[in-house]
Amino acid sequence: MNALIAFIKKEFFEQIRSNKLLILLMIFFAFGIMNPAIAKITPWLLEMLADSLAESGMTVTGVTVSAMDSWVQFFKNIPMALIAFVLMESAIFTKEYATGTLVLSLTKGLARYKVVISKTAVLLFTWSAGYFLCYGITYAYNAYFWDNAVAKNLFFSIVCQWLFGIFIIALMVFFSTVSTANTGVLLGTGGTVFACYLIGLVQKANKYLPTMLMDGNSLIHGTKSAEEYTAAIIITAAITLSLFAASIPVFNKKRL
Amino acid sequence: MEMLRIEGLYKRFGDKEVLRGLELSVPEHSIFGFIGKNGAGKTTTMKTVLGLLKADMGEIFVNGERVLYGKTDTNRYVGYLPDVPEFYSFMTAKEYLRFCGEITGMSQKENASRTDALLSLVGLSKETHRIAGFSRGMKQRLGIAQALLNKPKLLICDEPTSALDPVGRKEILDILLAVKEQTTVLFSTHILSDVERICTDVAFLNEGTAILQGKPADIKGGLQTKEYRIETKGAEGTALLQNAFGGMRKIDENKIIFSENDHDLSDVLRFMADQRIALLKMDQPEKSLEELFLEVTKK
Ligand SMILES: Nc1ncnc2c1ncn2[C@@H]1O[C@H](COP(=O)(O)OP(=O)(O)OP(=O)(O)O)[C@@H](O)[C@H]1O
Ligand SMILES: [Mg+2]
Repeated sequence: MNALIAFIKKEFFEQIRSNKLLILLMIFFAFGIMNPAIAKITPWLLEMLADSLAESGMTVTGVTVSAMDSWVQFFKNIPMALIAFVLMESAIFTKEYATGTLVLSLTKGLARYKVVISKTAVLLFTWSAGYFLCYGITYAYNAYFWDNAVAKNLFFSIVCQWLFGIFIIALMVFFSTVSTANTGVLLGTGGTVFACYLIGLVQKANKYLPTMLMDGNSLIHGTKSAEEYTAAIIITAAITLSLFAASIPVFNKKRL
Repeated sequence: MEMLRIEGLYKRFGDKEVLRGLELSVPEHSIFGFIGKNGAGKTTTMKTVLGLLKADMGEIFVNGERVLYGKTDTNRYVGYLPDVPEFYSFMTAKEYLRFCGEITGMSQKENASRTDALLSLVGLSKETHRIAGFSRGMKQRLGIAQALLNKPKLLICDEPTSALDPVGRKEILDILLAVKEQTTVLFSTHILSDVERICTDVAFLNEGTAILQGKPADIKGGLQTKEYRIETKGAEGTALLQNAFGGMRKIDENKIIFSENDHDLSDVLRFMADQRIALLKMDQPEKSLEELFLEVTKK
């Protein structure tokens, strides 16, 4: 137990001293402000452009924005923040393989599964902290400028998107135990999401795919009901748990 | 008692057979020199002992307990210094040792005192910079400190002296000598003078097996064909001897060498006494480990 705590402590230490945590929180913070800001300046932007739009035959009349526009921005921007997260944290295992630092800890009797648990815990924490920071900021600004009540199923859609992030973390951890290099992690994670996207082109398959959880916009607009997400949630949770569970035996047999 | 026993160890990488039935026995409280050329398989052997590599065949016992690949149980007896030690560069030496102590489950108090003691042993107690800025010598010394942290019964060092200058090498050898009372040391090297300086036992690794193994003195003794070197006063005595005894080699104008297989020493001495040849010096020239190593690995 002490060894586990020590290793988790070391992981956090690394996140802080390498400035990764700070940079990630700043990215999420920036997106959190950007969402309402873009919504706020949209009417003004359109007004500025009104003349040139009129020339091309479009007329802009009294555009009004609400919290809804800001939430649409949120669900559009959060995948970008997630990509930044993946790019910054993808080497969390592979860097230790490359330098050989893990070998010394393991030869001191640290159980291998504790390495997997520690790194997973830190990833979960970092993602959750950044994500809910972004959410909190957007929520607060929206409440100040407009009214958050217009967005239907808001909390549910937020949880779905968060769960998708955890699914991505499970992919990162799993591909980190399988491959030895950073590129393997990125290809594996990116490839899986891309495969989901391709399968999703078949409309009927869509509601079973983890990528469905990113579709928060349909939820807040009410074009889809929460029940329609049940299958995707169950399947994503099952895949996520299986990936975490598989990572430990794979890592146990890994050549370091 | 044996601290480490390796039985019939085989390991191949692809079609390259690195270890072919290696047998090794490391007695307790020995300083065991594991000698082999570059690429002989020293690092491979050590990593297998640590459960980091999977053996194709064979068994390894540390302190009587079997080593299993992927399991770290036997490593609680072992301190390991890799050939190129790498530490978490964002920590200081002290933070790193503390972290290692926590991983091994030391109590706070023991951890603190042990860390301080080891830092001063390796001369890093005043170092407050992060490891990122350390020289190779400093990393090697920190490596020894972390390997000794949990008072291992077996200290495995992979070429601990290779990267160091003569002063640094001596420091490390002195540390190894100093810890001999508390632990068994297995270290690999290709610097044979280091081996002659501190080792109580040696093994030569060649073509995947230990071709020679034992106490340095026994190995030297066992392998030397006994030769005598005789130095006479003036060149005439040497000439007389060469005429009388066939197969004597002249190595200088008043020095000859002969093997005890060819002539009996007492016969030669009697002849010298009869002929009144003045004897200046007589000895048995000894081959160094280095010469022996080159000799046995050549065939
Ligand atoms: N992971 C690996 N994959 C393929 N071949 C390997 C691997 N590790 C080692 N080898 C090969 O095994 C042989 C033995 O390597 P090893 O590192 O054990 O030698 P060594 O005795 O430690 O040499 P050195 O004195 O250079 O450190 C080498 O020929 C090397 O090419
Ligand atoms: Mg080596």
